[in-house]
Amino acid sequence: MNKILTSLLSLGLACSAALAAEAAITAVKVTDSLDGIKADSAIWSNAKFSTITLYPQTAIEMNDKKANELTENAKAKKAQVAALYDGKNIALMVKWADGSKDLQSGYASTTYSDGFAVQFAGATAKPQPLPYIGMGSVGRPVVVHLQKANEKVYEPNGNKDVGNQINRQQTGVFGQELADFDAKVASLAVTDYERIFVGEGFRSLTEVKDGSIKSNSSMVYGANGWSGILTRSLKDDYVNLSGTVPVSIAVWDGSKMGRNGLKNLSSWIAINLDGQKQNAAMVTDLTTDSKGDASKGKAALEANGCNGCHQMNAADPKSFMAPSLKNVGGYSTAAYLRESILKPSAVVVPGYNRNAHSNTPWYNLEKGKRISTMTDYSHLDKATVEDIVAYLKTLKAEVE
Amino acid sequence: MSKRQLAMVMDLNKCIGCQTCTVACKTQWTNRNGREYMYWNNVETYPGTGYPKNWMELGGGFDAAGDLQPGVIPNLEADYGVPWDYNYESIMTESAEHNHFKPHVSPTWGPNWDEDQGAGAFPQDNYFFYLPRICNHCTNPGCLSACPRDAIFKREQDGVVLVDLDRCQGYRYCIAGCPYKKIYFNPKISKSEKCILCFPRIEQGLPPACAQQCVGRIRFVGFLDDEESQVYKLVHQYKVAIGLRPDYGTQPNVYYVPPTESPAKFDAEGKIIEGSTRLPIEELEKLFGPDVHAAIKTLKDEMKKRKETGVSELMDILIAYQHADMFRLDNNYYQEVAKEQKRTPLAPVDTRYLAGKFTKAGGHH
Repeated sequence: MNKILTSLLSLGLACSAALAAEAAITAVKVTDSLDGIKADSAIWSNAKFSTITLYPQTAIEMNDKKANELTENAKAKKAQVAALYDGKNIALMVKWADGSKDLQSGYASTTYSDGFAVQFAGATAKPQPLPYIGMGSVGRPVVVHLQKANEKVYEPNGNKDVGNQINRQQTGVFGQELADFDAKVASLAVTDYERIFVGEGFRSLTEVKDGSIKSNSSMVYGANGWSGILTRSLKDDYVNLSGTVPVSIAVWDGSKMGRNGLKNLSSWIAINLDGQKQNAAMVTDLTTDSKGDASKGKAALEANGCNGCHQMNAADPKSFMAPSLKNVGGYSTAAYLRESILKPSAVVVPGYNRNAHSNTPWYNLEKGKRISTMTDYSHLDKATVEDIVAYLKTLKAEVE
Repeated sequence: MSKRQLAMVMDLNKCIGCQTCTVACKTQWTNRNGREYMYWNNVETYPGTGYPKNWMELGGGFDAAGDLQPGVIPNLEADYGVPWDYNYESIMTESAEHNHFKPHVSPTWGPNWDEDQGAGAFPQDNYFFYLPRICNHCTNPGCLSACPRDAIFKREQDGVVLVDLDRCQGYRYCIAGCPYKKIYFNPKISKSEKCILCFPRIEQGLPPACAQQCVGRIRFVGFLDDEESQVYKLVHQYKVAIGLRPDYGTQPNVYYVPPTESPAKFDAEGKIIEGSTRLPIEELEKLFGPDVHAAIKTLKDEMKKRKETGVSELMDILIAYQHADMFRLDNNYYQEVAKEQKRTPLAPVDTRYLAGKFTKAGGHH
């Protein structure tokens, strides 16, 4: 495996930038503090924006019938991303087009908000392989910052504020006193739907509520699109960002009932902190495509029966046995695809509840470890694996 | 599947649709904090639209192959109904032309909008019965399988299905996944909430509010592995209590004694058609599956036996003489669970219903 990686890296270094999947982003160093930065702060004029592509999450299909109808054959989106850092904090801005401003608002059960998230790789002994794009994998944690355009929510349980958990009609007060009660409850509302999670794989995300991660995010709507910003410290208990910072971005569209798995996401993208030593191997890995032959890869993939379990494109029948690969080329790195072919059990996320499709278990638990039910294809020769990876990288929705 | 399963049996022959259970639940749990529109317990008229509107057509549950089916999340205003309130505060201060009592929204739908309508033609063969519904605390919950956050769990000690509000992020896939639509979205806290089978009451020796308040004494509560419990006898021994819509594949743990008693039909002259019954068996089969035939036969046989001989244990159970017989909450069991988990066992606040498999009747140990 290491040998393969090394030889591929050298191949990658040699290959031209024209093949680049997604160019690296430069985080410009600023001397002013990034504390209190907003989307319209003048400091952003220093930033260099790069275009990235966000692909619809289609590895698994959620069980919301209406939402699935709305997102059937969803297309990829473009977003503009820029980064700044001041030695202590990093700030990211994500701008994306969205024709409607959707807030999760009012006394309603079926409103959904627009939102965005930034995923960072957790600090590990070795920066590569990167965590699985779908919220990390075992031993490769991620930190996810989520900002949604929700109207304010009131979480009495979160604040242990049980005293105000009574029906206003049962307060026993009227007139001004009742107005005061209403105002008190309103003032206790959490005004900003900003959440930070740590996770080691889809379904394992756990909210960080102890203040151990210092960050701030917000989003502003204007000119048919959103601008979202996130500021966080470069170093804390969970991450240690320097040199090259891999991030991945996700956006949600409330008008398409987007939430959780119903989103568009990018692959890992390299952000180089200007003036710091880059992680050349990682940059190469994230900015160059596989050198394999995609058409040979398609034939090899069919010969090996991959499409017996995996859906490759929208025309193929859906399968509960294995993740759909119809956008895998958009949001997965070549390194991840290679690893998954050679070592299927290297990344098996807790994933969708297995009981949802109990007759098609995609992993078995052996001594507490998730062992993929996928066949191990480590017997394939290097060139064939590379061809398959090259073909898989072509599987992605077109940009809207 | 949990170690033990707490279950409820509801006798539909005895439900009079008084909504006392609904009110007991509402005042206990859902009259505040974003839950105002929710009815963790509701009593609907069957046939009818139900609550939420047409819930049986909204998907969820499992197919025969065990695959979770996609579902639809009901709309608060159109399918549940906005709980309207009145202008109590302003009525005294408004000007003369506005100082009448009025709802704050113009209601377009609500639970029991079609109460007592039923089906059939009046007076020949119209019919309906009441169907009280709570969360079924399923052995194979659709909500739990649908949750991508691992925020729903089934308590090991008694099988009660609960939402971990700390993990829940309000994605609502659980609502799509529950075929009974008995899990609700709380817009105020942006999380899902549901019937908790009054576990804080049960742990302290009190039956669920809906069951204790039921004036028709239609609800029995106990553990399914407790052979002394009436729940066990009705479900496993006599097999007269069946889960609702077993075809959804979630293995519900609220069981119903199907309605066997309905008046005879009238002919064109308004005369009774002897031997006829208004309640179509097809409807009962749709609700309770093919086992309903055997259940109805047992019920009819036992009724006959009671009439002829004066003796029938089943009829005695269904008459429900004593709350203490209907509820076996096995308090000592909960005390032991608490001790095992190194928690402080709660002292029971009511000692009448403590008996159970691990609790001797007549006192707390």
